Amino acid sequence: MALSRRNGRSRATLVFLVLTSMTVITLDFRGQDSGIIGDVRRVATDALAPVRDGADKVLSPVGNAFSGITDYGDLKDENARLRARIADLEGQRLRSADAEAERKALIELNGLDYLGNLPTVAARVVSAPVSNFEQTIELDRGTNHGVRTGMPVVTGAGLVGHVVEVSGRRSLVRLVSDPSSSVGVRLLPSGESGIADGEGPRRQLGVGFIATNAKVARGDLAFTSGLEGGSDLYPAGIPVGRVTSASSPPGELEQHVELRPAADLAHLRFVKVVKTKIRNGA
Amino acid sequence: MSPSLRIPPVLLVAAVLHTAVMPQFRVLDTAPDVLLLLAISAGLVGGADRGATMGFMAGLLADCFLQTPFCLSALAYCLVGWSVGIFQARILHATWWIPMLTTGVAAAAGILLYAGLGAVVGQTQLISTRLVTVVAMVAVLDAVLSPLAIRAMRWTFDVEQRGAILLTR
Repeated sequence: MALSRRNGRSRATLVFLVLTSMTVITLDFRGQDSGIIGDVRRVATDALAPVRDGADKVLSPVGNAFSGITDYGDLKDENARLRARIADLEGQRLRSADAEAERKALIELNGLDYLGNLPTVAARVVSAPVSNFEQTIELDRGTNHGVRTGMPVVTGAGLVGHVVEVSGRRSLVRLVSDPSSSVGVRLLPSGESGIADGEGPRRQLGVGFIATNAKVARGDLAFTSGLEGGSDLYPAGIPVGRVTSASSPPGELEQHVELRPAADLAHLRFVKVVKTKIRNGA
Repeated sequence: MSPSLRIPPVLLVAAVLHTAVMPQFRVLDTAPDVLLLLAISAGLVGGADRGATMGFMAGLLADCFLQTPFCLSALAYCLVGWSVGIFQARILHATWWIPMLTTGVAAAAGILLYAGLGAVVGQTQLISTRLVTVVAMVAVLDAVLSPLAIRAMRWTFDVEQRGAILLTR
């Protein structure tokens, strides 16, 4: 009798919680991160920020050592790849001293903007991705420092992602490798435009909408196009990555093109938030 | 101290572990899901009612740091906490490894449920080849951490060692 009463109570609790959850999910959809739900997220982020900062400072050396153990094989491979890359770069430097001038000329020819004219805010990465599904990082700069939702985030090498949520002292950045991220890109020197989609951690970006007759080759550079197409619209001219493979399987209407992100997304420590707002075209 | 006073600090510690500590210890780019583990342990120790309630609260905390719709984790975790709690009586007197195995299976189910519910509400990016890795790794990592989580829940709910899950047997 007592057991049946307890089961009845637990079912009632479950029904109440499920209905509450479904109501809040619906409200969140309608509110689109504004209103009370957005405020709750911002308050929680700010409230836990000092504790998380402390934990990060204390534990990051331990975490680095741990990842050194678990990723030992990958590190060895990466080391070998980097050595080969150094050799390649050395050869390239000797062969083409005017490569940089050529790149600049190409950018100018394609009407791309220079990022150097835009104001930036330097920020430190204070948290690795919290979720196992989302590719996001947290920065130690927020609205108090002029950061706003939608601003692009870059390193010296290229595009990192854009700010998706911001509180007073923190901002959350969705990386270009996030499966829900898509960036309009232009490939150089061909000038072809496409959409670079994120495909998860340590995976390359897949570029869609490149015609099979387009002349795309390994090593081509990809910059943000500034064109409509991707769900996120960035200013033109930010380096996104370099083409690592391009193929046209028989019967396909577009090429399979993959990009290696220009920024090292797995080891970000400092980034710059570009003080220009992107529009979300999704 | 009554269990209702112990719950907030336990949730706070779990949130810090989940957001700041465990992301440092990733295996195959996957960190243990401490807040899901809390829901499962609450179900194992406290039964369906407490499992659902703790799962809901832990899920809400997780949602504060995610971009998916608010309460999606709360919905998935409360269902998992409740389901585990339903079987609590059978697990109660089992050998030491049964709670660990239960935690692993429940964690895998929780991640699949989260991704499935997410896909239903338009978060289709959650269903990808990476889901297999995340399910497998979270199941293993949460199972490994389950003895600690169960001890914490036993303290939270003020459950006696004897008569609860016999982890040390």
